[in-house]
This record gives sequence, structure tokens and C-alpha cells, in this order.
Amino acid sequence: MAPLKSLEVENPIIDFNFQQFCASHHIFSVEDFLFHDIYKLQISTKHHSNSERLEQGITVILSIIEAQHQPWVNGMELLEEAQGNKHSISTGYERIDMLLQGGLFRGNLVEVVGPSSSGKTQICLKAAANVAVNNLGSVIFFDTGNSFSPKRIEKLLDQIPDSAKIKTEEARQQVMNKIVCQSVFDIFVLIDLLHQLKSNLKPMTGCSVQMLIVDSVSSLVTPILGSGAHGHALMVSVGFLLKELAYEHNLSVLVTNHMVGAEGGHLKPALGESWKNIPHMRLHLSRDRKSNICSMSILRHPYIAAGKAQDIDAVYEKVFRNTNLQQQPPAMQNMSCSQENDSKLKMTDEFFEKLYKNNVQQHQSMQNISYSQDPSERCV
Amino acid sequence: MEVSRLAISASTRAKLISAGYTSLSSLSTLSPFNLATDIKIPEKEADEILKLASHNGKLDNTKGTQAVSGGQTAWDMLKEDEGLRCITTSCSALDNILGGGINCKEVTEIGGVPGIGKTQLGIQLAINVQIPHEHGGLAAKAIYIDTEGSFMVERALQIAEACLSDYNDLPRRGCNANQLKRQPKDLLENIYYFRVCSYTEQIALINYLGKFIKEHKEVKIVIVDSITFHFRQDFENMALRTRLLSELALKLMKLANEFKLAVVLLNQVTTKYTEGAVHLTLALGDSWSHACTNRIILHWNGNERYAYIDKSPTLQSASAPYSVTGKGIRDSVSDHKRVKLM
Repeated sequence: MAPLKSLEVENPIIDFNFQQFCASHHIFSVEDFLFHDIYKLQISTKHHSNSERLEQGITVILSIIEAQHQPWVNGMELLEEAQGNKHSISTGYERIDMLLQGGLFRGNLVEVVGPSSSGKTQICLKAAANVAVNNLGSVIFFDTGNSFSPKRIEKLLDQIPDSAKIKTEEARQQVMNKIVCQSVFDIFVLIDLLHQLKSNLKPMTGCSVQMLIVDSVSSLVTPILGSGAHGHALMVSVGFLLKELAYEHNLSVLVTNHMVGAEGGHLKPALGESWKNIPHMRLHLSRDRKSNICSMSILRHPYIAAGKAQDIDAVYEKVFRNTNLQQQPPAMQNMSCSQENDSKLKMTDEFFEKLYKNNVQQHQSMQNISYSQDPSERCV
Repeated sequence: MEVSRLAISASTRAKLISAGYTSLSSLSTLSPFNLATDIKIPEKEADEILKLASHNGKLDNTKGTQAVSGGQTAWDMLKEDEGLRCITTSCSALDNILGGGINCKEVTEIGGVPGIGKTQLGIQLAINVQIPHEHGGLAAKAIYIDTEGSFMVERALQIAEACLSDYNDLPRRGCNANQLKRQPKDLLENIYYFRVCSYTEQIALINYLGKFIKEHKEVKIVIVDSITFHFRQDFENMALRTRLLSELALKLMKLANEFKLAVVLLNQVTTKYTEGAVHLTLALGDSWSHACTNRIILHWNGNERYAYIDKSPTLQSASAPYSVTGKGIRDSVSDHKRVKLM
């Protein structure tokens, strides 16, 4: 909120005299003015010599405040707007798009949450590559873990079905120039950058930034969280800034979040309860260590039913069994993975197909799930 | 409140807020002197606050097309990364799955059970980073941060001797007969060794590293052996530990990115109970598992040592055998070529 001084230029009535009067009531900014009891303020003007002028000043400020509010929009208009320009951006994975009924929505803040090496960064990179290659616009990638890999982007570009059009060096350069990466290692730097983005995007409405990715937001927030209320305030303010950017510039904002241990050895999304309600959409990723299959489920979505956490767990189990049905025994499976660099992600597709068709054959799957595997192959 | 977004101390922030300076615009027209007298702080501090505030709200319109200042396009990064060399591990199978060796600009975590060869690998990397350009190395220096006291200088000398004799036997590209033969001693001189005895020292050292590396630009690898040791004991407040560790990780990331060097963190293992079974994982918990860019787990498979890529944004999961010999880390003897992909 603006300090009263700055209003002086446009409204001569808010002169030094008026400012001093306000200062005597501990009012320095318009914000302070809103907190104050205006009725009491008006009464106290009576004690001053030029009470009329002071009262006029108060009305002027009130009218300035009133002019700040946004115009009304009715439901019909909102729907039209939503259908008109809030269409979705494909993630590059057919099955994920299917699950989300179109992909990532413009103007929404989408959070991908999952344990370490569950494919969060892969989804971000793929989505970025997909936006760039389909000429939708540019992508801004805030990287907090040195995990942005141009090499990987290049590989992902090769996998896109009609990659013929990006065969040449120049075409490839053009595509990759659309992805702008910036390393961020500090929450204050992130806030600074988001402010920059806010002010720089405004004059260029034609500017084609389509997607903003923060991978990962939690590694910036974790160091400051818990050291008092201030850390919380910063976290929420980042959340609001991201949402504001998404709304005002119709961006699709994608952030990743970590999973941390909770009671009973279970995992839960990091950043706690007050972050939980900030993203519009929350997607949960997991990877089955044995079969190397990644899967996604919806924790929160504007209109697709998410169900309770337990239900999701149940769905997981079913689908894992089901996919195991489809797979060869583990040893063979390893072989097939090795042939294709990206089979881990391709299997994701298979997973979603299963989820959708929902033809889980419980009995058969129960027989197939109980295989044993040499644990030393996996892990220590 | 906008001032809470400024990176200033809590007490200064409180002073600003109580004096009514809650927004950045309220600070924009002030002179340092006015602010200093108003909230009773030294003028120098006031000047710093104003600098921060003006920087924060500043519009950066110098580059019209760039939405954020300092960003780099993926293409430029790709071209830049092509010029970066990897640090070999001296084991071809391991190099193979790592795409040439340990990458610069990345933080790699290596963990495993005691005796698997973590420290050996650490020493090997500290030596290998010094391999001259004509042999495909970086001809750089190393920083070795020892928290456990497990760095053995005699062992480092052995590995250095073996490394030197390995590449001195090879024919040189651009042969330079006049060049003096390097001695193992020279290799040891190029390792900056820090011994750390508590977690406060560890944090202080990592804060100081940026300054140190600025003065010693030729450092291309930082090895922390091990990141875990001091954080595993005497820690009552686990939330504090998580916070300190994630801050530490961010600082190391920043170093890796800024100076284009490799950071290698060695980690211990712990047991974890999930789904009715006990198995081994790397220590420091789930939130730490996100902190590193790459994660390599060393484990025994029968009588052979294996390295397994557990996490990486670019590399696929794979495992490769290696062995620890008198000369350092080398290819596994029993089967030379077999690389098993997962």
C-alpha cells in the first residue's frame, strides 16, 4: 500500500497538514488508514482548526480506496472466459493428459509432489520441452537443485513423434532458446525474480511466456521454515505471488514439492498444512522400486474427484498389481528397461491406460504379485 | 507486508514495521539519514536497507526481451556444458554409466556401507581431478573436507603414484619433452585438506568455501567425507537438523553452479523399516534424499563391489562393478565388460 505522501502529487488536498494529522494517529500509509476507525478519526478532526479540510481529505482517501476494487464478474462471464482462454497445456505424456482431462491448466498453480527420484524433474523437463517444441511460447525454469539438464531436454526433443521438424541445428536452437533457465538458491532471490517477472510481463502482453516452472519450491522453503512465523509468511507470499502471476498472465505454473517422513514411517508432502491449500492442483508421483514404474494420482483438483488419501493408496496397489501382470518377470524387465532409455516414463503411460480402463483383475494379479527378487540388485 | 520479503534481520524488520514502513514504496523516497534517525539505526545499515528495497522493486528493462535477468536459455547452457569435462573415476565401467565420470556443476552424493570404498573413491577423485589436459583431465585442484578423520595421506600418496605412472606411460598428445615430470608430491600439494571436528565448524567452513574458491579458482572438486558424521550424533532437534542440512545443500549447489565445479558428498547408511521389512538406505532421512542432484549407492553383490545410480535427472538407473586395488579404484577384475542396466 502506498504511503500517504505519495498521494500528495495527484491530490493536493492530502497536504503536509493532513499528513501530520494522520501521523498523530499513527497513520502513515493507506493500509494504516484502513485499519483505523474512520468514525473516530472524523470526530477528532473537530478539535483542529481546519476541520473541514481534514474531513475532505478523509473522503478523498476513501474514494481512492473504493476505486481500487476490481469490477464484478458473473458466473456466465467466468465460464466463457474459462472456455475461451483457460485451455490446457499438454504435459507431453498422453496418459497424464488423459488423467488430467487435458493437461496443465493455464492460470493455475500445479504442484507435483513425490519422493526422491520419482520423476518430478522429468515431468518438468518434458512439459518444458513440449511447450517449446509446439511453438506455444517460452518457458521459464527456476532451478534450485542444479537438476535442469539441457542434455536431457535435447534427448526429450528427439523422442517427440514429429521430431523431423527439429532435425536441423537452427530449428533445434530456436526451440531450445525458448526455455530460459535460472538457478535460484535463496528464497529472497526467488521473490525478487517473481517480482521482476510480474513487472516485466505487464508491458508485453504479447510476450509469449506460457509456463513457469519452479523445481523445487520446497528446497528453498525448508531452510527457513520453522525458524519462526517469518518463514511461514515468506512461504505463503511465494505461493500468492505464483498464483497472482498465473492468474494475471494466464501462465501455467508448475512447482515441485518433496515428500518427507511422517509418523509411522509414512511419507507426506513437505511444507505442511498452510501450503497445502495454495496449489490449485496437487499431483502425487511415486515409483515402484521393483518394477521401476512411475505412477501419478490426483490429490487435489479443481473439479476431478480426488478421493481420500486411503482410496488413492488402494488405487495404487491395484494398479501396481495390474501392471505387474503386464510385465515380464523382474529379470526380464530389467533387460527391457535397458534397451530404452525412457522406458521408465513410457511405463507411466501404460499405467494410466490401466487406471482409465479400470479393468483390474484382482484374482490374477494376486497370484502374480508375490515374486521375490534379489534385494542386492536394487539397493544396498 | 512487503518489507518482510527483504533479506534483513528480524529486529530491523520489526523496527521498520513499527515505524510504519510496511511497503517498499514507503521506503523508495527516503534518504538513508532520514530512515536512520527515524528508526534509530546506524546510517550505514539504513543505506543497506534502502539499497535492498530499491533493488527489490526495480524494473529491469535493460533487456527488453528477457523476462528475468540473469536467465540462460537451454541452448546456451547446452553449448556451455559441451565444454565441460568430467572427472574420471579410474573405473571404466563406472565412468560408462556416469556418462564419462563425475560431472562438474553438479552435486553428487555417494553412499554405502562401511568398508565399501567411499573414502577410497573420494581420494581417487581428488587425485584424478589433477590429470593434465593432454590426458583428458581437468588439470585442476581439489578441496577435501574430512569430518571423520578417515583421510589417509599415505594412501593418497599410493594412489597419486599409481595415477602418475598410469599416465606417464601413455604417449602424449602434443608431446613436450622439456616438461618436467610431475612427482607424487606435487599431486598432494594440490589437495587442500580441511579437518572439521563439529557440525558448527562444518557449516562455518562451507560458508567460507565461496571466498576460498574465489581466491583459488583452479579448484574443480569439493569432496566432503562425510556430510553425515557430525549430523548423526548429538542432535536432539530433528527439525533444526533438516533446516541446517537443506541450507547446506543449497550453498553447495550454489558453489557448484557458480564456479562450475563438482561437489561430491559421501554419506553413510542407515536401516529403515518399511512395509514390514528392514532395509538399508542412505542416512539423514527423506528430506535429505532430495538435496543432491545425483545419488550413487555403493553396495556389495556377492564378493564384488557395485555402484548403482539411484537418482539422476539425466542418467538412467544402472549399476556397474568396480574394485578397490592397491592403486586405487579400478575396473572389476572378474568381469571386465559387463555393465548391468536396470
